[in-house]
Amino acid sequence: MRRAVSTAAASVAAFAAVLGLHSATTKSRLMTASQPSQSGNAATTTTAPGTGPLGPAGPTTVPNAAGPSGGTSTFVGASEQYGYGVLSVKLTMNGSHIANITLANLQVAESYSQMLAQQVIPILKNEVISAQSAQVNGISGASYTSQAYLLSVQSALDKARS
Amino acid sequence: MNDAPQGRLPVHIEQVMGTVVSFHVWPGKCPLLAATQAIEAACASLHRADQVFSTWDPDSPMSRFRAGRLDASQVPPEVGVVLDLCLEMRALSGGWFDPWLMPGGVDPTGLVKGWAVDRALAYLADAGAGAAMVNGGGDIALLGDPPGGGPWKIGIRHPWRPDGLACVLEVTGAVATSGSYERGPHLLDPRTGALTTAAASATVTGPSLTTADALATALAVGSDEVLARVGQLDGYDGYLVRADGSEASTAGIVFARI
Repeated sequence: MRRAVSTAAASVAAFAAVLGLHSATTKSRLMTASQPSQSGNAATTTTAPGTGPLGPAGPTTVPNAAGPSGGTSTFVGASEQYGYGVLSVKLTMNGSHIANITLANLQVAESYSQMLAQQVIPILKNEVISAQSAQVNGISGASYTSQAYLLSVQSALDKARS
Repeated sequence: MNDAPQGRLPVHIEQVMGTVVSFHVWPGKCPLLAATQAIEAACASLHRADQVFSTWDPDSPMSRFRAGRLDASQVPPEVGVVLDLCLEMRALSGGWFDPWLMPGGVDPTGLVKGWAVDRALAYLADAGAGAAMVNGGGDIALLGDPPGGGPWKIGIRHPWRPDGLACVLEVTGAVATSGSYERGPHLLDPRTGALTTAAASATVTGPSLTTADALATALAVGSDEVLARVGQLDGYDGYLVRADGSEASTAGIVFARI
């Protein structure tokens, strides 16, 4: 399909936009780079990247993500229900940037959901991490899994920014 | 430059009608309390629609009507409204959307979600909300312009990559997408009565989500023939990914530049 290339770019853009990640544009990145790493009052724990229930995710390299502060903090998003189960995510923030996302919790009712979640979540994760600027308002035909995942990321981000 | 989140209420999620409905509301000049109450009223209307129209609940008015246990004079008024809309959509779709050909009696499910989400959004419009997006399991009704100016940019889920997008469309009003990807084949060809996967993904945009939802269902079954019909309707457009992965759209579809 000729649109394949733009499709990939668009999908990256979309999920970040749904999350309101477009606040992390180049401009704001510069602005926030001088801010201290935020730990706030949210649940802050030592993170172990890639140790979520779905198995090793491998190291994550995020372009432009390394701020001068160097410190990371983690934030657990709210548990979000979706059509087939419940999930919540844990964000690792490097300054104002998402450095990694793992699943803090995933409960699904049946094997089909488990399969779906295992397909969806690693890719969602990469798209959220790699696309921190975008302009898409919503997704038509979106899966329940995607919506729950993005909402949990959003709530973790809200904690990180409070 | 927190443009979008600024002035937006926290996203409200309601589990109803076998799916998830999310409310993204920018109250604008509408008082916060009024906006919050409008969301509550909208959710109550969704649950009411669920109770009336559920085909899973054998005791719902719709189920009893289908089974011949209630006649037209005994059903809640919404049933008459929705069945009239179904008649209208059957004609508009050239018979490709036909709730009367479903097994087990008339089944308006292909239109009810869009209708219910339209009705939910109306509570926010009546309250004077500045902008809102109500997303009912991927069927979206829109009010006003998004923060930063219109039109709304809506990603259309890729039929084979559950997390990816097939494209991004500029939309005003409403957009519905129908396909077999998450629930498996569940659409019936009204001409054969068999499960069909003629289209991998079928999207219709236009002013009414009720109409868009019904036409997206028809487009998923009737493919190019329905696409041509949609293109002739004032204000409506369609985007189709055929079963072989090829794409087609009506002239009025606007692909967003991201």
